[in-house]
Amino acid sequence: MLGSAVVPLLLTLKVAGFATLLALVMGVAVAFVLARHDFPGRDLLDAVCTLPLVMPPTVLGYYLVVLIGRRGWIGEWLWETFGITLMFTWQGAVFAAAIVAFPLVFKAARAAFEGVDRQLESAARTLGVSEWGVFFRVTFPLAWRGVLAGTMLAFARAMGEFGATLMVAGNIPGRTQTLSLAVYDAVQAGHDDLANFLVLLTSVVCVAILFGSGKLLKPRY
Amino acid sequence: MKLRVDIRKTLRARDRAFMLEARFTTEDDRVVVFGASGSGKSVTMQCIAGLISPDEGIIQVGDRVLFDSGAGIDLPPQVRRVGYLFQDFALFPHLNVEDNVGFALRRGACGRMDAVQRQAVHDLLRLFEIEGLSRNFPWQLSGGQRQRVALARALILQPEIMLLDEPLSALDPLLRGRVRAELVALQERFDVPMMVITHDPADVETMAETILVYSHGKVARQVRASRFAQEGALGRADIGGILTAAYVDGP
Repeated sequence: MLGSAVVPLLLTLKVAGFATLLALVMGVAVAFVLARHDFPGRDLLDAVCTLPLVMPPTVLGYYLVVLIGRRGWIGEWLWETFGITLMFTWQGAVFAAAIVAFPLVFKAARAAFEGVDRQLESAARTLGVSEWGVFFRVTFPLAWRGVLAGTMLAFARAMGEFGATLMVAGNIPGRTQTLSLAVYDAVQAGHDDLANFLVLLTSVVCVAILFGSGKLLKPRY
Repeated sequence: MKLRVDIRKTLRARDRAFMLEARFTTEDDRVVVFGASGSGKSVTMQCIAGLISPDEGIIQVGDRVLFDSGAGIDLPPQVRRVGYLFQDFALFPHLNVEDNVGFALRRGACGRMDAVQRQAVHDLLRLFEIEGLSRNFPWQLSGGQRQRVALARALILQPEIMLLDEPLSALDPLLRGRVRAELVALQERFDVPMMVITHDPADVETMAETILVYSHGKVARQVRASRFAQEGALGRADIGGILTAAYVDGP
């Protein structure tokens, strides 16, 4: 039983880890731009970035297939140019999970950046510090707890991703079968012991992550 | 040192618009800016520091042009050499006193201060009599201590002018008299021109060489305070009259 749990667990950690990293970089960048610059269409962009949070994962998965499928907008170019495709690969699962987890990082990071007193950034500028310096020495150190809390939620969400992953990467044991897909398979096949074990494992990891991110969000200064 | 400001700026917030049209030139080293809230004092200061770009005009400190819309000059705040004391001091809450004061000296995202820089910080801390607090964080300090940290932080790069936005408003009233005298002494000691925003007539009396009275986005009056003392033509009551008028008069 342990053996059949280890493979999906490791794959899940790998997929969720890369997906969280991707969501973190994109989420922080977009959140910073939206928190610090006002431009036409800002509210629309915010809405589009939040969409994966509320859309059914299968709908999202379908969009992704349209985008990165072998005849999709990006997928066709990838296939023609490099001869690679993200469909039915663990990299595809990463992509799907990253999109689903993205709003959690983005929302938390935007709130965290907006919570940083802009006067502190102005003060840093008058002290001769470059814009990069302002971000890395003032804005980010004051916002990182919020960003990290969002990142942990994103990791938990990426770990539990089912619908979009299934559409994009399929359910191939040992290659794209993550924990949540393995649970579904185990239940369908009547392997109750394995299902119980996988459910317990997933629950423990998720509770631990939520507990940790809750602690981080407590005010400090 | 010469300070020349001749700027126009329209600020819009939803349906309201505010027009700043500030014009003054002074050679004095202690300029006190007086006026009602919303008369454009802070906006002028932020324009001098480069935190807001005027729509048009000229800003000159000494012989350096910081802003000139005609010549297309608009130096970023980083190179203006303008020290700014914010109203609530804007100390970095995640850094201790030593790192706050040395903030401008450190370079790079995680660069450390070298021994010479650390020494410079400690010399300044000693001057402000807060050396014992170097490991404390801003939230552990009193209002007066925070102000000293903020002053030291702004002075460490030897700015060519210091802008003080209501330096006394965040302090306990009992402390204000002492801090006024300290600010004057500081100006003389560092020989740095100082521009101070205030709502308090007492600040004008003790600190001003030149008074700028703001009203509705314009410099309504510019008066040299030293003249009062020398000629004795205008007394305290007259200053009071000018200041009161600032609140009553429109442009």
